[in-house]
Amino acid sequence: MIPNRLFMPNATQETVPPNGYKLLTLGHKVRILIEKKAVVRNIWLVLILLLSCVMTLGIGTMMISPKEVIAVVFGHGSPMSQFIVQDLRLPRLLAAVFTGAAFSLAGCLMQTMARNRLATPGIIGIDNAAMAFAVSSVVGMGLSIAPSAMALAGAATATALAFGLAGGSGTRGYRFIVAGIGIGAIAGAVTQLLLSQVSIDVANSAYPWTVGSLSARDPFMVHILGAGVAVCLVACLVFASQFALLPFSDQVITGLGANIKYIRIIALVLCITLTGLAVSVAGPVGLVALVGPEIARVLARYRGIPLVSSALTGALVMVIADLVGRTILSPIELPVGIVTAVVGGPYLIWILIKRSSRSSL
Amino acid sequence: MTASAFQHTHSSSYARLEAEQLTLKHGKTTIIERLNVTLPEGQVTAIVGPNGCGKSTLLNGLSRVHAPSSGVVLLNGKDIHSLPSKEVARRLALLPQDTLAPDGITIEELIRFGRHPHQSALKQWAMNDQDAIDYALKAADLIGLKDRLLDTLSGGQRQRAWIAMSIAQETPLLLLDEPTSALDLGHQIEVFELIRTLSKQGKTLAMVVHDLPSACRYSDHIIAMKSGEILTQGSPKDIMTKELVRELYGVDCDLIPDPMTGSPILINIQRVRG
Repeated sequence: MIPNRLFMPNATQETVPPNGYKLLTLGHKVRILIEKKAVVRNIWLVLILLLSCVMTLGIGTMMISPKEVIAVVFGHGSPMSQFIVQDLRLPRLLAAVFTGAAFSLAGCLMQTMARNRLATPGIIGIDNAAMAFAVSSVVGMGLSIAPSAMALAGAATATALAFGLAGGSGTRGYRFIVAGIGIGAIAGAVTQLLLSQVSIDVANSAYPWTVGSLSARDPFMVHILGAGVAVCLVACLVFASQFALLPFSDQVITGLGANIKYIRIIALVLCITLTGLAVSVAGPVGLVALVGPEIARVLARYRGIPLVSSALTGALVMVIADLVGRTILSPIELPVGIVTAVVGGPYLIWILIKRSSRSSL
Repeated sequence: MTASAFQHTHSSSYARLEAEQLTLKHGKTTIIERLNVTLPEGQVTAIVGPNGCGKSTLLNGLSRVHAPSSGVVLLNGKDIHSLPSKEVARRLALLPQDTLAPDGITIEELIRFGRHPHQSALKQWAMNDQDAIDYALKAADLIGLKDRLLDTLSGGQRQRAWIAMSIAQETPLLLLDEPTSALDLGHQIEVFELIRTLSKQGKTLAMVVHDLPSACRYSDHIIAMKSGEILTQGSPKDIMTKELVRELYGVDCDLIPDPMTGSPILINIQRVRG
């Protein structure tokens, strides 16, 4: 056989990375490619997110200047503003950042897997099922497991059911989405049924689970969610080169020597974990999963799978939506789920109308 | 390092792909039963036959995309399903019919995916990766187009880009499922000539082809299938007869040798009457 190409032995020659990439070498073994544009994009998003966080911490019934907010963050500032920022506003802000990132990252993964931008965990029923399980626990019909754990169980159950009903066609195609929509509708109905069967006080305590709100968050769950988001982001970076294959057809993926089932299971486990944890903190705020990744894709000019950017845009959308919900009708607070629905609903319609765009995602 | 890399490429060029007693099913329907076949090394094999005869299924079985119900596909004597998938992908490349690609991908980025089986999470880029990509761009005559978006290309250019991706995979074996089915005549020739070039360089190729004259013209070996069975196989000149064409497609025709190449040409084709 004639050799495919000529090697030019040249020990001193540097390995040149592809255009637009930076090669990170560690010793002889580790060679990691980093896309420069993605890094710049994500640094900008982090800066904007930090800025809106400072604003959120300052804005409210009691206004605090950005300077004072920064002072408080670094351990200074008056006791009054310390109390307001650290004890009242910061926990809520963290909940917004983590849930936004979780919903949006889960959405980006699911959309990529299904090759369909409508296939977010919210639309295929994962949010609703997590909510139904959590509510059943609150109203005392669960298996006396904490609502948060029930939310996770609900997310996993909905995904398994959607898979089962899709009948072997995998996460591609409309069967999976249609099955998921059905499951979501059933879960929504079950939630209503449960709420109508219990006393008004119990129903009230379950209410935050059903609208998507950051006002009733469980501090312990916020920490768990934060850890979950961090772990899932790291997992996304580790499996980035595998996830990058997801938009190809199954046969191409197999031909390139990757295991499609294994990639899909990892992506699904990440989706379920992120969605279940996020619902257990904020209830179903599913539209973030639709809007967040879309903004990230626009920023990435529809190239690659912007997982990290999606997490950041999701966090940003959630922080801003909660800020709007808190302030627009002050002193009445609008649940963040209602704000995202008011903004996300028209957006969904716009996507459907603008369907003619080149992008299939 | 470069010397050993060369050795490695050279030794993995041994490429024997065969099926023994291979049975392939779609659900409960048996498509192929107890089939034995070997791809002749260093040659272009064309798999032909009427629609639904199982030729694409056979190709998917040989490329481990379709798992056998019984029997075995052997790559260099080893069960292809027992080998690590990445190792198989360094010896066997596949160009399926169904080739979805990520949005906004350029030609060079597509070809870069061909290096996936040679990379890992910690070793994402090596010197010979760029060499292989440059070689593939050149072989498929795509250097001037390397920064163009895949979906702005013509059908023939796009198909060449997919083949270039499999060239960058640096495998001794390449299987193609109807590589020319959606292309017009000019683009078909582009692709077939690229396949011949690859064969000249020592690759073993197999392709599913609909067009019988093209199969005769561009392959060294033809496998004629009907209803999941191999009717006959051999060089186009030896096996192509009026009777075979009639048996395969239910049409009558006359065969004459191409005055330039000697490969059989079908003329006076008509439906069998009576």
